[in-house]
Amino acid sequence: MHLFLLIGLVAFSILAVLSRDLLKSAISLAVASIFLALVLFLMNAVYAGVFELSVVAGLITVLFMTTIALTRNDGDVAESKRHRFIFPLFFLALALIDILVMKKLLGQIPAIQSSETGTFSQVLWNQRTFDLVGQVGAIFAGVLAVLALFRPDGEKAHKKNASEGDRHE
Amino acid sequence: MNNLWILNMGAVALLIGIGLYCLLTMRNTVKLLIGIEVISKGVTLALVASGYARNNLMVAQSLAITVIVVDVAVIATALALIININRHTKSLDVGKLTRLKG
Repeated sequence: MHLFLLIGLVAFSILAVLSRDLLKSAISLAVASIFLALVLFLMNAVYAGVFELSVVAGLITVLFMTTIALTRNDGDVAESKRHRFIFPLFFLALALIDILVMKKLLGQIPAIQSSETGTFSQVLWNQRTFDLVGQVGAIFAGVLAVLALFRPDGEKAHKKNASEGDRHE
Repeated sequence: MNNLWILNMGAVALLIGIGLYCLLTMRNTVKLLIGIEVISKGVTLALVASGYARNNLMVAQSLAITVIVVDVAVIATALALIININRHTKSLDVGKLTRLKG
């Protein structure tokens, strides 16, 4: 089951990257997120799974689709046709290196076993308080950046108001 | 070290590799963001898989949630930037962003 979900995750990620239609790419990315959320649920990481499912598979997909809809007419960018040949070779080489090296690499990491106590909320609020402060800061920075990027152009708005005023007179 | 961890980290390496390939070869700005998203999925999986293998799942989950929140802020800002760039250049081609070229 776990292996099947991981294969689905990697397969839909590849589809998201290689698909020519941006809408299909965004939907493939959302399906990959659903596979990842299921993997997280299987590993008992319920909170991370819920976040992945609601925020990444939901919110980010909506953001992608809105952007694609707003830029639809200009969205055709001619990607190189060489991806058809290069990507399978790249992927095979990566998978081969992965199989040969990963076990050895992970074996070099010292085994430090620690058993946690307490609930998730205790760990999140007591031990990772600064992470939460950082998250709030990141969200505010994002909101301010989006507001700054979508603010109306000052000069254009002024000229438009002035011309409308002339017409009324 | 168990087999599940090796399996998960193998998938992580593949996801990060696919994302890097996308970032290095694609010209469409939305596709580049999709590449960043794929890398972010790999990082989330790496955090939770390592926490699960080392019996540190709570801390791993809180770190994964932090990654997801930061990722949302980055993607929202980048998509707004793409819409603004598209208004000026009428294209999503990253090759046409040459105004700052010296």
